[in-house]
Amino acid sequence: MRLPPGERLVRTDSLVVGHEGAAILPPLSMTIAAGELWAVIGPNGSGKSTFVRTALGLVPAVSGTLERRAELRLAYVPQQSALDAIFPISVLDFVLMGLQGPGNVTLLARRANDVRARAALDEAGVPALERRQLRDLSGGQRQRVLIARALATDADLVFLDEPTTALDAAAEHEVLELTEQLRAKRGAAVVMVTHLVEDGLERADHALLLDRDHGVALPVAAAAVRALPEFERVYGRFVGRGEARP
Amino acid sequence: MSDIVGGPSWRELWANLAIFKDAIWVGGLAGALLGAIGVHVVLRRMVFASSAIAQAAALGVALSFWIPAIVDPSGHAAGHIAGPAAHVAPSLLFEPVLWAIAASLLATLVFVANPVHLHLTRESLLGFVFLVSGAGAVIVGSRITQEAHDLAAILFGSAVVVQPVDLFLVATATVILLGGHAVLWRALLFAGYDPMGARVQGMPVRALNVFLFLSVGLSVALCTRALGALPVFAFSVLPAMTALALTARIGLVFLLATLVGALSGVGGYVVSFKGDLPVGATQTTTAAALLTAALVWRFARARYERRGRAP
Repeated sequence: MRLPPGERLVRTDSLVVGHEGAAILPPLSMTIAAGELWAVIGPNGSGKSTFVRTALGLVPAVSGTLERRAELRLAYVPQQSALDAIFPISVLDFVLMGLQGPGNVTLLARRANDVRARAALDEAGVPALERRQLRDLSGGQRQRVLIARALATDADLVFLDEPTTALDAAAEHEVLELTEQLRAKRGAAVVMVTHLVEDGLERADHALLLDRDHGVALPVAAAAVRALPEFERVYGRFVGRGEARP
Repeated sequence: MSDIVGGPSWRELWANLAIFKDAIWVGGLAGALLGAIGVHVVLRRMVFASSAIAQAAALGVALSFWIPAIVDPSGHAAGHIAGPAAHVAPSLLFEPVLWAIAASLLATLVFVANPVHLHLTRESLLGFVFLVSGAGAVIVGSRITQEAHDLAAILFGSAVVVQPVDLFLVATATVILLGGHAVLWRALLFAGYDPMGARVQGMPVRALNVFLFLSVGLSVALCTRALGALPVFAFSVLPAMTALALTARIGLVFLLATLVGALSGVGGYVVSFKGDLPVGATQTTTAAALLTAALVWRFARARYERRGRAP
């Protein structure tokens, strides 16, 4: 069921993230609502992954509160490099994983699930790839399939971890367009960890700027982030059309 | 009439089938069970784990022989006089299979523990388990000279005949664990391939991993007691590699690994009988021969396809 835009999905209040009880970022208060696109930006080692893991409930917060909407459906799109190429996983089998969960651990009822998985592949623009091995696809095709799995989950909130890493310019554009579709067509909220600061900020409604070294954890409107001195410290005064490099 | 390899003839094998059929069944069942589970072992890059667990199981069996001799030397000596069945298992407490299971499950705890807190990798802990178990089995073996033959059988797999209880345990484990894996194979695959994605979607990743590790530990323990550490390690690695070399369809990989494992266990036993060769080593070599054939086929097919694509 599609949630109305603006419906609150996640709210953090003075949330402190870290490792084994040690804080790595200052307290963070923010709200993620249905239909929003967030860009999580910051230099390498800034705490982006720790924030995502905490928000997903995979690691405990050091302190503060993290509230999720009841029965919130989450999906996670991993980095391509996190998937071991030794596994012989077909595209269809990968998307079928998106249909597994507490009520469907075994995925034994294949026929109905296959229909849903094929619909997700169709929506992601890669219906012809279902029999191909995921490891044999180009980077752009593979990223589309990864997003197809998120589409199959019918999630309310999707986390994407560096979806454009190692893609050429055309594939980057396609993947970002597909990411937009997740919220435009599905009404899902999208939280995208990205190193493409400019493209990310162009599309995002909100930005979360993280900088562990300088104790920065700032959720702001995407349009306003460039004016922040904290942003300038990380990315410099001018961010051109190309990729911003800290 | 002897065959060209100098061993017994087919007629002799058939005539003595009643004696050997339990060992053949155990070989086939263990090959099938370990072959199927081995797909997860190979894909999750924990090949060394089954070797370490098998070695731990062998140490457990060695301890089950040695400890009664320490605790109750006179009773143990009386057991020797009473005959092999008496000295192998003087009481249920010292039943070798129980010690094999206990040692295997202890070794399996290495998977469940998180060695990152110790600034160690899981592989290094597995190496520790393998080395301690191997050295321990050799040292304990040197103290129990009267059962040294039994211990050698367990370490290298020269089980020409197996006890009915071993067949019963291996068959029961095969039915239960293979059934569990047939139901959960997609869930286990998801938990191994993308654990973070699986946890986010609410999959019981920890419970699935515990099931996998327990099933590896139990199957390796029971099969090591019946067949020996060497063929058990071989069955948990080589059939899965063979299946992965033959096909990329994951469902078919599990089916083929099961069949190749069973074929290695039964075929290896028959070849060892015909060639008058050590059983465990021959079963291992049979599994390795099937893998070699699969790799040759895959290499030839890849060459053929490359030529087909050439302008």
